[in-house]
Amino acid sequence: MGHFCFKGVKTINHLKSKKMKEFMLLIRTQGDHLAELSPEQQQQHLKKVMTYMGGLMQSGKLNSAQPLDMEGVIISGAAGKLKDGPFNETKEVIAGYFLVQANSLEEAIQIAKENPVFEDGTGARIEVRPIKVMEGING
Amino acid sequence: MATESSYDNVPRLVDHLFRHETGKLVAVLTRIFGPHHLELAEDVVQDTLLEAINVWNYKGIPEHPIPWLYKVAKNKALNIVNREKYKREYATAAAHLLKSEWTANAALETLFSESEIRDDQLRMMFTCCHPAISGDSQVALTLKTLCGFSLSEIARAFLTTEENINKRLVRARQKIREEKISFEVPQPEHLEDRLDAVLQTIYLLFNEGYNASTGPYLIRYELCAEAIRLTEIISVSSSIVDKSKVFACLALMYLNASRFSARQNAQGEIVTMAEQDRSQWDKLLMAKGFAYLDQAATNKNISVYHILAAISAYHCSAANFASTDWNSILLLYDKLSELDRSPLVALNRAIALSKVSGPETAIAELEKLKDLSPLKSYHLYYSTLGEFYMQAGRFTEAKNALTTAIALSQLPAEQELLRKRLEICNQNGA
Repeated sequence: MGHFCFKGVKTINHLKSKKMKEFMLLIRTQGDHLAELSPEQQQQHLKKVMTYMGGLMQSGKLNSAQPLDMEGVIISGAAGKLKDGPFNETKEVIAGYFLVQANSLEEAIQIAKENPVFEDGTGARIEVRPIKVMEGING
Repeated sequence: MATESSYDNVPRLVDHLFRHETGKLVAVLTRIFGPHHLELAEDVVQDTLLEAINVWNYKGIPEHPIPWLYKVAKNKALNIVNREKYKREYATAAAHLLKSEWTANAALETLFSESEIRDDQLRMMFTCCHPAISGDSQVALTLKTLCGFSLSEIARAFLTTEENINKRLVRARQKIREEKISFEVPQPEHLEDRLDAVLQTIYLLFNEGYNASTGPYLIRYELCAEAIRLTEIISVSSSIVDKSKVFACLALMYLNASRFSARQNAQGEIVTMAEQDRSQWDKLLMAKGFAYLDQAATNKNISVYHILAAISAYHCSAANFASTDWNSILLLYDKLSELDRSPLVALNRAIALSKVSGPETAIAELEKLKDLSPLKSYHLYYSTLGEFYMQAGRFTEAKNALTTAIALSQLPAEQELLRKRLEICNQNGA
């Protein structure tokens, strides 16, 4: 956890000094969209991703990235009658996220477009969302 | 969040790491689940790689990627052997050890150790190349399970459809179940025959890479490299005492491989042995070939691989084409014809014969073979014959033979070379 706090502090200072914004890139895929690749192709894909992430890290734009397990539940309904719905992994799922910082939405979009997920998988989508910052409250 | 150092690992990720780890993991899991569950082993490995890629895509490659993969595979194996469905089926000795908490950890350590995995790959070769499985299926199964090739990659290597390859694999796995083919190095009394079958399949793999019969690429390096890798696994096994043939086969593959880069020019055209720039021959591969040839000469049994390797060695040791020792090569081909009476050997012998006794003698030999079955539709038969006719100054006959060769060849680079020869015939009034 200490590692994460340190990262967070560094990020906030960085944001303040350069007026960079944080963006959440949500990776949406059709189930295990890389399952059809051969071991060799998977390795090639991995190399591309590592080059991509290495570049983001070197320029200080990558704050965090995590995969999400292909299981879980979806809670829906209203208070008092909440349902733990089954998690359907055959449809589009959020496979993971990248938390990046960029000067503008355009730059964040560019970063998302360079993700190798578009080269090797099929039907992947990336949702680019600015993190909402309220001045004086959580800024 | 991964540490930054993990991104420096990218160049160090050895080429084909995933492919080779696939082959190793399928082998060890087949030992655990039993050969009748071969497909299960393949699925578990695919799942393991997928898990790796899904996590590493976000968190970076761990500092020790291979133990990471093995740990995931071990957990999946434990889950499966403890599953009710699996328990009801015939289980292997290894699976029994994994079911008890008392023995599971120690058993996993041993099963996934380097030497055990190497032996499992050897066992897998004997299983894949079992005589009950057809030749085509043996090659496909070897590439799939031991070399980690995907259906589409195998289909591309043999220029057929994925559906076709899949059928071959299904049939092979079915045979393994029906015939209860075991997962072990055969007993001493069967070892020689079974080893011959394994080497034959591996050599076929090498040849398909070396002499690609169709498609745009003259040499498919990956098939050759895989053939050499598998043979080297056999060569370090302690279960096989007489490795003379194994070493001879390795010598042959290394010596032929040493000439790879000179066989094709920058434009992808074939360069004949006479025209090859011998400084481009790979000295390191050649030295390995000669070293294996020395090791192969341990007993009096001379195999086809010994003779072919010796022929290749004579080519490798000649400073230039003119100084090639054709007399010795012809003697080796004579010996080879005794062991292997196939018309293909006779065709190759004719080339040596033409160097020793002139083109007319060789033409007479080749004309005797013209109705034999693989040769009468084999492009190399006609291109060789055409070459001899040219040397003998019989350009009209040469033109006919070369035209037939072009029509039969399926390789663009080869057709191009033949067309150049044909042009010379035309210039000489044919």
